[in-house]
Amino acid sequence: MSEKLKKIEQSLDEKLTAAEMYASRPRKWLLYLIVVLIIVSLVTWSASDVNFTGVTTVGSEVAKGVFYGIFNPDMKLLFGTTETDVPYLLLQTIAIAVLGTLFGGILAIPFAFLAAENIMPKPVAYLFRILILLIRTIPSLVWALMWIRVTGPGAQCGVITQSVCSIGMISKMYITAIENLDTKILESLDAMGCTPFQKIRYGVIPQLTASFISTMIYRFDINLKDATTLGIVGAGGIGASLVQCLNSRRWAMVGSFIWGLMVLVMIIELISTKIRKKLAHGEY
Amino acid sequence: MDKVEKTGKDTELKVKFFDRIFKPQVITLPNGNIVERPRSRTPFILLLLILVVFWAIRMTGFDMAMIIKRFSKLLDLLKKIFAPNWSFFPKVIKPLLDTIKMSILGTVIGCACALPVAILSSSNINKNAVTVTIFRFILGLIRTLPTLILAQVCALIFSLGTFAGTVAISIFTFGVVSKMLFESIETIDMGPFEAMEALGANKFQAFWSACIPQILPVYLSHSLYCFEMNVRASAILGYVGAGGLGITINERVGWRDYNGLGMVLLTLFVVVVAIEFLSSYLRKKLS
Amino acid sequence: MIEFKNVYKTYPNGFTALKDINLKIEQGEFVAVIGLSGAGKSTILRCINRMHDITKGSLTVDGIDVNSLKGKELRRYRRKVGMIFQSFNLVSRSTAIKNVLTADVPDMPFFKVLFGIFSKDQKMRALESLDKVGILSKAYTRCDQLSGGQQQRVALARTLNQNPQIILADEPVSSLDPILARQVLQDFVRINKDYNITILLNIHHVDLALQYCDRVIGIREGQIVFDGPASTITQEQIDEVYNGTKVPTLGDGE
Repeated sequence: MSEKLKKIEQSLDEKLTAAEMYASRPRKWLLYLIVVLIIVSLVTWSASDVNFTGVTTVGSEVAKGVFYGIFNPDMKLLFGTTETDVPYLLLQTIAIAVLGTLFGGILAIPFAFLAAENIMPKPVAYLFRILILLIRTIPSLVWALMWIRVTGPGAQCGVITQSVCSIGMISKMYITAIENLDTKILESLDAMGCTPFQKIRYGVIPQLTASFISTMIYRFDINLKDATTLGIVGAGGIGASLVQCLNSRRWAMVGSFIWGLMVLVMIIELISTKIRKKLAHGEY
Repeated sequence: MDKVEKTGKDTELKVKFFDRIFKPQVITLPNGNIVERPRSRTPFILLLLILVVFWAIRMTGFDMAMIIKRFSKLLDLLKKIFAPNWSFFPKVIKPLLDTIKMSILGTVIGCACALPVAILSSSNINKNAVTVTIFRFILGLIRTLPTLILAQVCALIFSLGTFAGTVAISIFTFGVVSKMLFESIETIDMGPFEAMEALGANKFQAFWSACIPQILPVYLSHSLYCFEMNVRASAILGYVGAGGLGITINERVGWRDYNGLGMVLLTLFVVVVAIEFLSSYLRKKLS
Repeated sequence: MIEFKNVYKTYPNGFTALKDINLKIEQGEFVAVIGLSGAGKSTILRCINRMHDITKGSLTVDGIDVNSLKGKELRRYRRKVGMIFQSFNLVSRSTAIKNVLTADVPDMPFFKVLFGIFSKDQKMRALESLDKVGILSKAYTRCDQLSGGQQQRVALARTLNQNPQIILADEPVSSLDPILARQVLQDFVRINKDYNITILLNIHHVDLALQYCDRVIGIREGQIVFDGPASTITQEQIDEVYNGTKVPTLGDGE
């Protein structure tokens, strides 16, 4: 910083003329050119192999069918009450996401503390960071395929899959919260005569709870969307039925599933954004 | 700033509603001063949470005991996965490249479409509240569709292969980047824009020279972030037939070749970590 | 009574912050410590409640040798000495009353601490403390919704709630604007007079120090260069405290 200031002062002292300043202007265009070239070459490389085979006749039929379904959903399915109807499947999806997020959020706490650099010695923190990264990179679908061997198909598989998958992102966000802790409060608790335990209870925990809850709500959003896809491998929720109907070309049913999904996800997103805003600058 | 105030008012209204049902407790100090203590919401929230959890456990048939009892099965799988079959590596390269290609092309197309839409859905630039709401609503709808379902539909429409995956990723990217971008655009400094207008520039000139330089770095940063997500997401798209690593994963799981699956996952891990590292480095540079 | 006898303080990095400090402060005095940044103002305050150890000499508070205190004794001693910080150091996500209640925590049994169970009596006392600094109405408001001056008052209430004999204030008004700074200082004066609590504060604003405090201690490079009633200090003496640089005493002196 001070070096920069010195340079500026120097240039002020030298009193460059406009022409001289122009001659020493930074030449950014070369950088821009390189960036653009890289992007263009990447795009051409990746486009080379993606061959557009055109919309097949079956394809256009599918497209038409999906649109037909969206505008003519199967009302009986959409508002029915049996276990194969949309409301029940949506509730099941919510249940999976609730439990998955809750368990994931709890399981992530030890991970986060063990991986926080300001608490743990560096080697331990790095080890746990790599572990978290591992959990995060394995796609949730693959986790589901593995857990299904344990639990068998069904909603239970979805719950346990999401519990594990959520650890990755949740603990990453917890770590940020832990590393951003305001440590000054600990100093004043120390000055008051608090023991280390009391400092954690009244200095650390109140700071963390709000951001931990906020993280969990955020993840709940994601898990809800994710829970719908887990159905594809048989882990419960609405996804399985949607894909089945899609493959057997029952468009009206496809339409009602998509409607149910959209409405649910939108409502949950709206609510969770509201709650998180309240937590961030809330009343209590 | 404006937003914060708005939500503040919002919550105030809600608090008042809650306090109207559960009257605040009035505490009188010995010296006669009075303070109102609003009723704590924590017990209600806790009760609600416990009820929801019980309901969810019944709904999903979650059985911890069974999972613990059969947990060894997962360990067996993990053991095999952590002993990857190295000779399988050559067969991973082609689908891996497909996955990367799909994500690059999908990200670029999605981001290109996102820029104009995001600008049109930012309320500080587009003053027409009706169009802003419509755009945002459509973006919201697009974001509700899970990528895998999108890919499934695309695979049915465009036949199996990487093209379907690219389309799915483009749509997904479009939804996500547009949202992140219009949220960022709404926080930019409009001072330079007004200054340009005061200089006699028309709206477009003012926007081009005052807003675009502010938006561009954010836009690139969001795009890179989305690219990171896309690499991870596109790895599984093949499961529904949309090309890339997912096909291989599906195949390995189908044949119960978990050592091969381990190799696929290991490659994916290395690639994802490398891309994340590169992208977060670039994003740091941008900000 | 606080008594410094030939106190030296050297930091681990070799920097000597205090040199041969001799000082006597009676119960109920209101003392301002002035001086340049790095002169040792903060060190003096922090030695009194043993946030820092002294290297040489003796420091006694009401006959207790502060430097020999350990563990439990030290924590019990710190209960009598309240401390206020420039940055308030509140849990911004908790309500004002919860912050004030933390002052009771060191005296509570384990399980009550764990679950945060406070008796009605404790709550009433906390409210009274808030009332003493005039922000009773904000008792159930989250601290991040309060202004800087209000937050400093919550911090003051928290300190009052531990029923201290001495309050150490480390630049309590530096992050407040002049008007709020005056209000907070007036609170300090009132508390000093009403409850006979000794108050030591570090302050950058010489004019405020002279206006509100009874006694001024000037420190330069770790040594006391002025010690006397605020009313007798002259411009030359102030200049000497600040290394001979001229300091405006009127208006907003830094």
